[in-house]
Amino acid sequence: MFVCGYHFPASEGNNISFDKVIEKVEEGVDATGKTVTLTSETREGAQLETLEVPAGTFAHTAFVDYYTNVDVEGDFKMVYYTNKYQISEISKSVDGAATKDLCRKLDDMNLYRVKVS
Amino acid sequence: MSELRQIAFYGKGGIGKSTTSQNTLAAMCHYYGKKILIVGCDPKADSTRLILHEKAQSTIMQLASEAGTVEDLELEDVCKPGAGEFNPEDEEITEGYIMCTESGGPEPGVGCAGRGVITAINFLEEEGAYDDELDFVSYDVLGDVVCGGFAMPIREGKAQEIYIVMSGEMMAMYAANNISKGILKYANTGGVRLAGLICNARMTDKEYDLSKNLAEQIGTQMIHFVPRSNHVQRAELRRMTVVEFAPSSDQAMEYKELARKIIANDLKVIPNPLEMDDLETLLMEFGLEEEVEADAIGKRAEEA
Repeated sequence: MFVCGYHFPASEGNNISFDKVIEKVEEGVDATGKTVTLTSETREGAQLETLEVPAGTFAHTAFVDYYTNVDVEGDFKMVYYTNKYQISEISKSVDGAATKDLCRKLDDMNLYRVKVS
Repeated sequence: MSELRQIAFYGKGGIGKSTTSQNTLAAMCHYYGKKILIVGCDPKADSTRLILHEKAQSTIMQLASEAGTVEDLELEDVCKPGAGEFNPEDEEITEGYIMCTESGGPEPGVGCAGRGVITAINFLEEEGAYDDELDFVSYDVLGDVVCGGFAMPIREGKAQEIYIVMSGEMMAMYAANNISKGILKYANTGGVRLAGLICNARMTDKEYDLSKNLAEQIGTQMIHFVPRSNHVQRAELRRMTVVEFAPSSDQAMEYKELARKIIANDLKVIPNPLEMDDLETLLMEFGLEEEVEADAIGKRAEEA
């Protein structure tokens, strides 16, 4: 099973708890003091908007982790659709109002790119 | 050398199975150096065209008919190396390679296409096509499994791990559930397992949620959500995979990630298919179907 890019062994089943995913995501990354910027664009490549992910949230840590570990080139790295939906799903559950608007956007069909500075 | 894994891609006709399978297998070869044999099990014989850069390869059944019988064929006649970087002799980009063969089938409306699949796989095995160098054999199988012949890679225990290509549309989900029923039927005798759903997205509302929930309820995972991209069509028009056409494009990266997951995947389950009512409930829950009052069944729009 794969969540946020991490492989969870088959013995853990097909429904991995959010706690386990959060633990894995937080394990190898220090997101303190980092700024996470997202851009969204249509399928045709027209840029729509720029967003900042609130610090101290799971979404913030998850995007820092993604940016640090993903094997994608570029200053702004494209976010796999699977990962953006999974980050949104967990963030909605644990970050509550802090990321409500952000998650609503992440659930759309647009492509997102992330930059961590 | 790793153990040979025999995988298969199933899914509703027209869902993008051959496109998804060829792009994913190309990524497994291009980025991860995997050695692969593709066995096309669709009478259309379009399971290898993007790898070969050809319109359609001559099929085993077609060549057998020309030669007299399948026994008159040699492996080299039916099994072709991929074009460009997928050719075993071209090691510039990757050490991996892709060999291609198509089972073919009878003319439309005549005979049993499943028999072509059976004959082709037996021939390939007898002629030593499944050699020790290979990492993967991949079967690309037509449509639903309503016809037992097309379930042959499952029935005979050839394909061990099944990936179902689907989308968030009702018929694609119905077919995915039906294929799960086929896997369940042969899981205990042949050892076949469901390894995941691949959402080849139509980019409809709540498609991720719907696909993920279907996967969870069947007992498997939605292994990857492949977005729609014009790069796929552009590459197809050139008879190429996206991985070759635009190797650093966003879409190529999506196939690369799916390839990585398939290579590392160990979640192979006996599925738990849904009853039709449960499937409809799922569709209603995610807004694809409006719940209809019992007295509205069978009534025209102006009457309801």
